[in-house]
Amino acid sequence: MNVVESTRLALESIWANRLRSFLTLLGVIMGIASIIATAAVINGLNLYVSEKLSNLGKGVFTVQRFGLITNRQDFLDAARRNKRLLPSDARAIAERCPSADVVAWEQHATRDLKRGDNEIRDTDIGGITPAILEIEPYEVEQGRMLMQHEQDRAAPVAFLGSDVVERLFPAVDPIGKEIRVRGQALQVVGTARKKGSFLGFSQDNYIKIPFSLHRKLFGTTRSVNISVKAVDAGQLAATMDEVRAVMRARHHLRPADLDDFGMLTAEGINDLWRSLTQTIFSVALFVVGISLVVGGIVIMNIMLVSVVERTREIGVRKAVGARQRDIVQQFLIESVLLSCLGGAIGVAIAFGASELLSAYTPLPARFPAWAPPTSFLICTAIGVFFGIHPARRAAALDPIEALRSE
Amino acid sequence: MNATNDTPDTTQPAAGEVIRATGLTRTFEMGSTTVHALRGVDLTIQRGEYVAIMGPSGSGKSTLMNLIGCLDTPSAGEYWLNGQPVASLPEHELARIRNREIGFVFQTFNLLPRASAQRNVELPLIYGSVPPAERRQRAIEALRQVDLADRMDHRPNQLSGGQRQRVSIARALVTNPALLLADEPTGNLDSKTSNEIMVLFDKLHQQGHTIVVVTHEREIAEHARRIVTIRDGAIASDERIAEVRAP
Repeated sequence: MNVVESTRLALESIWANRLRSFLTLLGVIMGIASIIATAAVINGLNLYVSEKLSNLGKGVFTVQRFGLITNRQDFLDAARRNKRLLPSDARAIAERCPSADVVAWEQHATRDLKRGDNEIRDTDIGGITPAILEIEPYEVEQGRMLMQHEQDRAAPVAFLGSDVVERLFPAVDPIGKEIRVRGQALQVVGTARKKGSFLGFSQDNYIKIPFSLHRKLFGTTRSVNISVKAVDAGQLAATMDEVRAVMRARHHLRPADLDDFGMLTAEGINDLWRSLTQTIFSVALFVVGISLVVGGIVIMNIMLVSVVERTREIGVRKAVGARQRDIVQQFLIESVLLSCLGGAIGVAIAFGASELLSAYTPLPARFPAWAPPTSFLICTAIGVFFGIHPARRAAALDPIEALRSE
Repeated sequence: MNATNDTPDTTQPAAGEVIRATGLTRTFEMGSTTVHALRGVDLTIQRGEYVAIMGPSGSGKSTLMNLIGCLDTPSAGEYWLNGQPVASLPEHELARIRNREIGFVFQTFNLLPRASAQRNVELPLIYGSVPPAERRQRAIEALRQVDLADRMDHRPNQLSGGQRQRVSIARALVTNPALLLADEPTGNLDSKTSNEIMVLFDKLHQQGHTIVVVTHEREIAEHARRIVTIRDGAIASDERIAEVRAP
């Protein structure tokens, strides 16, 4: 018997027992849907992160008091050992590293801001050197960015993120108006275009002021973050080595000592992010793998029931000339179709879920293109693996016994 | 033993013999005891014969029918079906023989409940790898032979008992087999319908089909031209019916 006939028979059989078929498939449906939905979310996050990091630009890295730290012990060690970074460190890098094209630095504080009755909480107040604009450009909505002369004389000016504009200047043009930070009146010179939120966290709740002013308002005890742009993006590693040498000399480290500062590149952050999401995905895969095995066992069970129910049919088929391999083929195709049907429903649900997630939640889900073919392969494997035993049992039935059964 | 099967010297089947069985033996192991269902049956059936196999339950007639139908293989003895030795063929070869050489008619019809009459009749052709168009044409032709061409889209549950049995006869005929093998074909039918079915068998016999009917009813057996009676696993009598019966 050919595959077309077997497929037709299998479809008839699945359709004749459609409620039972559907219930049988719930395990596979849920398994496939949840793994793809997870993959869609992770895929979306990865794309988002890569995109954000690529904004940072090529050939750029930062020097910070703490590098990428992923466990508690490392953090405690670094907190004890690492010195605060100073503006003088940044100036030293700018002077002594010929392969560093731009060196900028900044420091941060978090404060609630008020203006009349309006208030915004936990605003990030960043003190920047305007050189940062050559490394990480801001999109200006209104007015202009901070200028070098304002940094030079610690001018009381501010550049606002769009959340701050919306909350503190709900109905007024903010340009030229004043806002107060730690009792100091600052004149608004510009506002930024909205960036949106990531994982529910707004990225627009900030103001930028000159670094020199920040030191006056918030003191000089904060560690600064130093951003460096290499002259040649292709020689990033060489530039990093130069900077590392300068920093180690300033911190009087011996050759055997570890760095007591951190250096981050976009690639480094991206790699860390991906290994993190990879781990999440592996765990999800393991959990879902269990549900797929359970789904497979349910399919095997229902196929065994089906073999018992159709014993007489099998007897008739054998009497009119079906070989064992014809019977195996028929039941195997049925279990594979059943499993793939579950996979298809699961893929459809995952597709719908990822569309809904990206539309109505902060998760940037993106349905992965590999999901349908991979699900098809997995479901075929489940169908074959869990279908072979019932199919063999059907094929091994004695035709005489089978014809006699009720 | 009748003169027709009195050929003890030659073991090879002659031309025109549909069935040739010599020393057909079948034993079953039931725990520690061995049950002798058939004890050396010799039987030869010529092409175009119409034979009834009779016997009480437990006589071994079902075992004999299963062996003749290639659903089972003998413990000892030789069996040629349409000139081919089949006593020791592997499973897939037996399936091929059943497909090409034998048309089964069962007491309980054994139609597939979800398939139309036409699909049921096509079933043996599907396993015989006949292409769809030819399958359909031959199925319609077989249904026409049993006067059911107008019911070919009906499912078994939309047909009467007699009609179902005619569908199953059409299924048996569709491969144009060497042997039509019917197991209590009227066992589930009332007497009027039984008669209709037996008239159909008579007609098929006149058309030249070789027919073996297994039954325990004398009335049914008397439609045949030869009655083989089995008792205790052996042939007890083998009689020919010469007279022409009233229809």
